[in-house]
Amino acid sequence: MSALEIKHLFGLRGVSKHDIRLILDHAKQFREILERPVKKVPSLRGMTVVNLFFENSTRTRTSFELAEKRLSADTVNFASSNSSVKKGETLVDTLRNIEAMKIDIVVVRHKGTGVPKFLADNSKAIIVNAGDGAHEHPTQALLDMLTIEEKLGTLEGKNVTIIGDIRHSRVARSNLWGMSTMGAHVTLCGPSTLVPRNTELMDHVTWEPDVKKAVANADAIIALRLQKERMDDALLPSMREYRNTFGITEELLECAKDKVIIMHPGPINRGVELDSDIADGEHSVILDQVTNGVAVRMAVLFLLAGGRNNENA
Amino acid sequence: MKMHKPCKGRLVNVVLKNAKFWNGKSFELQNEVRLNACETSETVEFDCNGALVMPALFGLGIDFMEPLRDDVYTFADGFDALRKGGFYGGLYESAANPIDDADKFTAMVNRFKSEERGEEAFDIKFLGAYSKGFGTDSLAEMVELAEAGVAGFGDGNGVIPHSRFLRLAMEYGKMTGKRFFFQPMDKTLRHSGCVHEGAYSDMLGMKGIPRIAETIAAYTVLETARFLQVPVHFKQVTCGETLELVRNARKNGIDVTCDVNLYHLLLDDSCLETLDSAYHILPPIRSAADREALWQGVVDGTVNAISVNHTPVLRQDTVVNFEDSVPGALSLEVALPAIWNKLVAKVGEARAIELLSTAPARLAGAESAGESVVVFAPEKTRKVLESDFAGHVCNSPLTGKELPSSILASYINGVWTEL
Repeated sequence: MSALEIKHLFGLRGVSKHDIRLILDHAKQFREILERPVKKVPSLRGMTVVNLFFENSTRTRTSFELAEKRLSADTVNFASSNSSVKKGETLVDTLRNIEAMKIDIVVVRHKGTGVPKFLADNSKAIIVNAGDGAHEHPTQALLDMLTIEEKLGTLEGKNVTIIGDIRHSRVARSNLWGMSTMGAHVTLCGPSTLVPRNTELMDHVTWEPDVKKAVANADAIIALRLQKERMDDALLPSMREYRNTFGITEELLECAKDKVIIMHPGPINRGVELDSDIADGEHSVILDQVTNGVAVRMAVLFLLAGGRNNENA
Repeated sequence: MKMHKPCKGRLVNVVLKNAKFWNGKSFELQNEVRLNACETSETVEFDCNGALVMPALFGLGIDFMEPLRDDVYTFADGFDALRKGGFYGGLYESAANPIDDADKFTAMVNRFKSEERGEEAFDIKFLGAYSKGFGTDSLAEMVELAEAGVAGFGDGNGVIPHSRFLRLAMEYGKMTGKRFFFQPMDKTLRHSGCVHEGAYSDMLGMKGIPRIAETIAAYTVLETARFLQVPVHFKQVTCGETLELVRNARKNGIDVTCDVNLYHLLLDDSCLETLDSAYHILPPIRSAADREALWQGVVDGTVNAISVNHTPVLRQDTVVNFEDSVPGALSLEVALPAIWNKLVAKVGEARAIELLSTAPARLAGAESAGESVVVFAPEKTRKVLESDFAGHVCNSPLTGKELPSSILASYINGVWTEL
């Protein structure tokens, strides 16, 4: 019960209950450390982590960077906007150049599905997926799971409803795999142009088009961010209609359980997928998610690095 | 960089011993057959050890991509691939240098002349473009191209033109009596898709290309063909719905032929789980149900031929993540060993040879294989190595896989090649 079965974190599909449990349990310990006056531990001292972000990110990159620093790792940030990628360098060359600087862990975000696995196939570094296309965002799902366990005691048997742009959401995909593995029942709900068209390989979750029914039995509701591009791409008519149909409002919450918790991966479009009163209200656990994000990322980095250290021993 | 071993073909006459020769109906064991396809005194004897000797193949959909990067893949590499794979000819369509006037046609024909003899080394037919430069709204000089000898007209792969230009191109090209070749794809429905839109693309969050991108384009072409009475061909049909359109069109008197890509018969979209860019092929590899529908079309005769769509891709364009890779696959070197046993199990030997050799040649207006043959061991397994492929490329989903059969040698237009 001390080492991860996985060598890298590409996503949560196929990751065992043992591994998810191990990460969440370690995250809980790191969460306690984050409450101390001195929040730093020496676990990754001497190790170098590169944050390789090919897409814009503030929250996730900051959260990873904090996690790395709290673990005493040396960190380097690499953003494609000011890098040699702009000069035509290939992904493999970028990675190999960075690797030649003797780094240990690469945290990568990229618009392309499967980039973390591709990098792992072409490198010796430990790879952590910080979001690849619409595929997976495993650390976001892990922090969501940690938050639910923290607030509701367990994931087992809980009903989690995810509302919004499921089709383009890596957060939704990671959550539906991870939460199902941990025994939660996941319901997905969104406009017909924003949910996957072919769900045969995701038939362990419930697809509910009626948002009121989707929230009725939910213990936790996750609202997904709505990208403005969806309107430009004719997938939705307007923010207004989306808010009135799928937005989390006081009116909608009247259909939900009294103690339902409201979650959001951020950044929030206030008044679109989530009304301000709800985002700042008693049901919201959004800021807890942010704190838990650092703890979860510390756990992931610590456990993956530990696995590699054990392997080398 | 892989170590590519060029095949050393020789201009000789051959004596094939102890082989099962195709007599037009079945394979018949013969002790010795002499093939004299060239004027030379040199003769090679080859003991086939009971292997099959069948007519060489004709490849639909060949593009050596020259002159995009002639340091990576040249016509000489293409010749090498044809001989290694047992192809005596093919239908060539140049994406890099569209054949949109008679001068370009003549230049392209000259590229295929053999260094050994100063004449055509292979029976290559060419598709002329119907628009200048592919995908434009200016008509190519189709009458002169037809007089020069193009097999038909096509504007590459991926999209069909907007309906007005489609009509005008076919209306003008009708004067030539030539067939129009389309790989049906509605570009707006394709959008930015790169894989089959199905359970795997949705599970993986990848942008999909729906079947209706193909069927709507196919229907547009068929309706235009019906209206204008112009013969058409669909390249690389990927789903049963398109084959159903073809069946119905034929019942209504439309002259329509079609082929399916080798890889669409061998693979389905479950391969996407690997996220390996080697499976990045357009049109996309579709579902297992689609693959079965294509096989059904092969069995019932809806499919006229099996195509190869040989497309070299620069190594640096394949060694990237799936969505950023350049689509395309090599196939000449592996087509026969990969498909033969499956094909024979479905349709028998005679029809298999027809689908791979005589039928594609007929579609391109080429002669039959004549004395060009391929020596083939259907039960001799072989692992596909990067070095098996000609040129500095190896973009095939079969690289590293074990094939159930092996090509032992080919004798193409007088050139003997042992593998």
